[in-house]
Amino acid sequence: MRPTEFAYHRAETIEHALALLAEHGEDGRPISGGQSLVPMMNLRLARPAHLVDVNHLDMARIEEDADTIRIGALVRHETYLTHPLIARHLPAMLEAVHWIGHPTIRRNGSIGGSLCHADPTAELAAMAVLHDARIVLASTGGRREVAAVDFLKGAYVTDVQPGELLVEVIFPKPTGPHVGTFDEVGERLGDFAIGSFGVRLEHDGTRVRRLATVCGGARMVPIRMTELEAGAAGQPLSALDPVAFGQKVTAMVSPSGDFRASAEYRRNLIGELASRTLQRARDQAMGMK
Amino acid sequence: MKNKIELTVNGKGHALAVEPRRLLADVLREDCGLHGVHIGCAHGACGCCTVHVDGAPRLSCLTFAVQCDGKTIETVESLGGTDATHPLQQAFRKHHGLQCGYCTPGFLMALVPFVDAKVREGTMPPEAEIRDAMSGNICRCTGYQGIVEAVQDTIGQGLRSQGTGQ
Ligand SMILES: Cc1cc2nc3c(=O)[nH]c(=O)nc-3n(C[C@H](O)[C@H](O)[C@H](O)COP(=O)(O)OP(=O)(O)OC[C@H]3O[C@@H](n4cnc5c(N)ncnc54)[C@H](O)[C@@H]3O)c2cc1C
Repeated sequence: MRPTEFAYHRAETIEHALALLAEHGEDGRPISGGQSLVPMMNLRLARPAHLVDVNHLDMARIEEDADTIRIGALVRHETYLTHPLIARHLPAMLEAVHWIGHPTIRRNGSIGGSLCHADPTAELAAMAVLHDARIVLASTGGRREVAAVDFLKGAYVTDVQPGELLVEVIFPKPTGPHVGTFDEVGERLGDFAIGSFGVRLEHDGTRVRRLATVCGGARMVPIRMTELEAGAAGQPLSALDPVAFGQKVTAMVSPSGDFRASAEYRRNLIGELASRTLQRARDQAMGMK
Repeated sequence: MKNKIELTVNGKGHALAVEPRRLLADVLREDCGLHGVHIGCAHGACGCCTVHVDGAPRLSCLTFAVQCDGKTIETVESLGGTDATHPLQQAFRKHHGLQCGYCTPGFLMALVPFVDAKVREGTMPPEAEIRDAMSGNICRCTGYQGIVEAVQDTIGQGLRSQGTGQ
């Protein structure tokens, strides 16, 4: 199928884009990589009357300041794979990005588009939740920041309002030594995951200072296992038991079944992935690799 | 409403008036006569329509032609012409990397930059890396093995000819 008619606007600056989005309100839609929006338009699931092309705006940089890494909305997925700031501060992200689609998708898709599309198992949405990222939204009325967990409201539903543009995503830097892991299972290489799990472990060489987790596929949005995180804080690294951890995750999640996997399969899969990611994180933290 | 755009396609300039909703894939086929651009699924899943936009692979079914104003585009026709003389095309033939041929232009356009990059780096990638490089393209005839072998053969040739093969 092919899209319905629309008017095309190429925005030259952020202010220009915001003016266009304000003018067209509900009928306007930004386009960045087009890797999710154009399929929806071709299938006529999305029918914007005005498309605002934001690819030429100055929001394609990764920058750091003392406490944060700021990722511009237009940063393409493949960028993380070779970026020193990501390897250093957000290692789980490095692992997660390998799982996004295929090389051509990773070259063209952007973080702004991925978060605003909000697929339930999108890897970058999981990374935003895992790292307590804040989403920066701009409109002609000014800017606001939303925590990733509040931004992602449901499957394909976010807090973006008509007239708003996602401009950057702010990731707090971990403090002190840390490791990060991510794993998932899908039907084919590059497909969206059936289940996924990510771990970030801040430690002091012998003890857990802080454990953060993210689980994809259990609900319509990525979720944190906050109870298990709290239980791990302060524990010796050697006391982290990946098998028991995985069993607890399996017991705690209640995913639904669909044509790709039954609820039962998904629950066990997520527990197994939790166990594996925690094990690798623990071993890396203990210098065992 | 039509927008005026200028594309450089396979080295030739085209001044076109296109409706914004027209996909780059359709414009390349219908307005530029380049029928090597194949459309399989029209939602990004099959990779058949892969072309190069400003030198890098992109799915022409997920791109509006109007977005490409001023850009340079290459299609499979730019590789080895109707005789398919490009080394990767020759290797596809030799290793049975195609049968019906519908997916072949997409595979070639996705893989040529990969092959070139590996030859430049002077390394033969592991098979898993080759399979990752072609994971966005679907082939229903070959079972992929012949395509993997064609890629290995072409990279091997490139490495030998520049004297970097191990
Ligand atoms: C075959 C295939 C496989 C894929 N596999 C995966 C996968 O495994 N994991 C995964 O995470 N993704 C996958 N994707 C999706 C891909 O990652 C997309 O790139 C991403 O979801 C959307 O990014 P985009 O830049 O292409 O956004 P677009 O498609 O341009 O836009 C997506 C949505 O976001 C809105 N939008 C875009 N930019 C902004 C902005 N700055 N502010 C506000 N709204 C904005 C658009 O209006 C639209 O609603 C796959 C895609 C394909 C085609």
